[in-house]
This record gives sequence, C-alpha cells and structure tokens, in this order.
Amino acid sequence: MQRPTYGQSPPLHHPVPQHVSTVPQLRSPPPPTAQPQSHGYDGSPYPQQQQQAPQGGNMFGQYGNFMNDPTAQIATQFGQTAFRQGQDYLEKNVNRFVNVSALKHYFNVTNSYVINKLFLVLFPWRHKPWTRRQASDSGAGSGQEAWFYLPPRDDINSPDMYIPVMSIVTYVFLRTLIAGLRGEFKPELFGVVATTAVVLVGLEILALTIGCYLLSISNKSQLLDLVAYSGYKFVGVIVTIVISEIFNGGKGTGGWVGWTLFVYTFLANSLFLMRSLKYVLLPENNNTNQGPMQTMHPLDSRAKRSQRTQFLFAYSYPVQALLMWVLCRP
Amino acid sequence: MTFLGKIIYVTVLILNAIVVLSEDRFLARVNLTPDTHNRSFGTNGVDRSVKYNAIQLIASIRTLTRIPLVPINILIIVYELVLG
Repeated sequence: MQRPTYGQSPPLHHPVPQHVSTVPQLRSPPPPTAQPQSHGYDGSPYPQQQQQAPQGGNMFGQYGNFMNDPTAQIATQFGQTAFRQGQDYLEKNVNRFVNVSALKHYFNVTNSYVINKLFLVLFPWRHKPWTRRQASDSGAGSGQEAWFYLPPRDDINSPDMYIPVMSIVTYVFLRTLIAGLRGEFKPELFGVVATTAVVLVGLEILALTIGCYLLSISNKSQLLDLVAYSGYKFVGVIVTIVISEIFNGGKGTGGWVGWTLFVYTFLANSLFLMRSLKYVLLPENNNTNQGPMQTMHPLDSRAKRSQRTQFLFAYSYPVQALLMWVLCRP
Repeated sequence: MTFLGKIIYVTVLILNAIVVLSEDRFLARVNLTPDTHNRSFGTNGVDRSVKYNAIQLIASIRTLTRIPLVPINILIIVYELVLG
C-alpha cells in the first residue's frame, strides 16, 4: 500500500525543555553535548558545537530558542535600559557632591611613586626640589593657557590620595588588631577608631580652612590637596605603633623605643609638610607665565609674609604633634 | 547620646556663643565690629588684614545664623525637656 503523499512536512522540532538555563549564549562555553566525540575538542567548544549543530540539535536549539524568545528579548532590553538609567542617576547625583574627575587625578599613581613617596614621608631631609611640576593645556586657543599640575604618576612632589586612604584603613585595622592581641577586642572598636581618625582629619581641615580665610590665602581647588597632606601623618603613626608594639608590649608612651620613634616620625612628617605646603601658603614666583596658584603681590608687606610663615610653621609642628599624639595613645 | 548628636550640640553651642554677644556693649569696646575698625586698609582681596577678616567672619556668622538658630534652639530645648 502506498503512502499518501502529504505536503511538505513542517520542520521537525525536537522537544525543547521550557525552563531554559540562565547562561547566555555568548558568555560561557556551552556544556558538552551527549556525543561521544567531545573529548578531543576541549580547546574550542564553539566550532565543535557548530559542527554538531545538525546532530545535537536539541542542546543548541535550546540556546537558540532562549535568545529568540521575544519575552527574553524584552527582558534583556529592559535590563539594559534600567542599568543605563541607574548609571545616569548615579553620575548626576555623585557629580554634584564629589568632583569625580578631580578625585581621579589623585588616584593616578604608580608603584614606584608609592614607594618613593613613602620613603619621602619617612625621610624628607635629603630631597631637593620640592616644587610641583606644571604643564600647560596646549589644546586651548591662542593666548588662553590653562595650567594644571602634573598627576602623581609624573611628579614625585604631587600629593595623592591613595597613600592617605590606604594608611587610614591600615591604621584602623592595626588598632583593632592590637586590641585583639591584648584581649580587649569588641566589634564596635572598628567604628570608634575609624570615626576618631576621620573626625580628627575633618577638624584639622576645618581649622586650616578658617586659618586660610583669616590670612586671606585664596586656595583655588586646593581643598583636596590639604586633605591628602593631612592623611600622610598616618604613615608615621602606623610605623610608630607597629615598631613600639614589637619592642615593648606598650604603646608610644612605653619606654625609649616608642618615644624616640614617635619624635622621629613627627619631625619627619612636619618637615615634609612644611616643605610641601610652601607652595600653597607662600607662593613666590612672579614670572610672566602664571601657574594655577596665586602669586604674591610684589607690594605685600613683610608682616603678612611673616604671618603666613608663622601660620605654616604652627600648622606643621604643634598641630601635627597634637594630632599624632592623640592617634598614638593607647 | 549619639555621636552626631554631640557634634550638633557642640556646633549649636558655639554658634550661640558668637551670636549672643552684644554688639554695642561688648564688640564695640573691643573694636570687633565692622564700623569701629575699618576703612583704614584697602578692601580688595590681597590687602585685608587678619583683624578685618576676623571681623567679617564674626559679622557674617551673626547675620546668617541669628534667624535659624531660634527654631533649632527651641527644638533642642524641647528634646532635652521632654525626652530627657
């Protein structure tokens, strides 16, 4: 008996499981098929899979149907739109409070810069040129020069925020570690130490800003510089705490080792600050090409200059001594 | 008391101290008002003396925070009385 000729049969669909796996097709190699020859092709799953497409169609078809499913496509687009909207919202709001591009300048560091800067904070006496290097933005039009300071990557004298942030975090962990070694750890200690450190830095910046206002030192975009410079003292504090903890069980108040180390790091940090902040508080150059800092009026009285020098000295030495002592207490 | 509460109390107390000073009885005696001292130096940015800047600071703190400090003080007093 002859079979009746039907029309062209519809394309055969192998039964496809409806709960598709959430692994998108493009990102991870598809699981090995049930064919026995998969072992020889471990390095390149994709060409292997495509060769076997007519044979192992159900697995590949599963992925194909996942991407062709209109619901999945709508979901993908919705996810992308939501993500993009979230990014825009974040950019708009964060940019209003925090100058993100200026922050990026401070984190533009290299390994050699970090090592050299740490050495400089702990031993600043032999370093010779302390001025920050500048460059001009040559893309501007004629006659309009936009000067900016070189990032820390190219200039050892430029302040960065990487070392201060890292040293504050290290200080918090070190404090809690030592408290734990003594058996007096409690989980609130993290918050207490971190808050103390941040509040001390904040008070210092506040006092510095009031001092700058009283002395009519105009700082253009230098607030983050001052924050960075006030974070460098944590390096000396950490060194003092670690070494004095090794040598005697006590703290900086305990014995000769702790106190001499404290005095040494305090002097090093203060000299580093005085030399580095000279360009902020006592600018000297009256060249024809103006840098981004203010230049002193040639008619400025000696009284004002000596006032500013005294202010810089008072900030570098006694204020730092007080703060470092507070941070090094047991 | 919470940490933020302490900070708020300290700032409000300091601002109160600056605002409460009587202008004609005290500040004029010590020459810390804008009219007893100035006009002796120029008032552009570079020539200002420290005392002039301090006077400006005190005067502007007084002018700006005199009005908002009243409701803030009322709130703090009510908080202290009612909620201990």
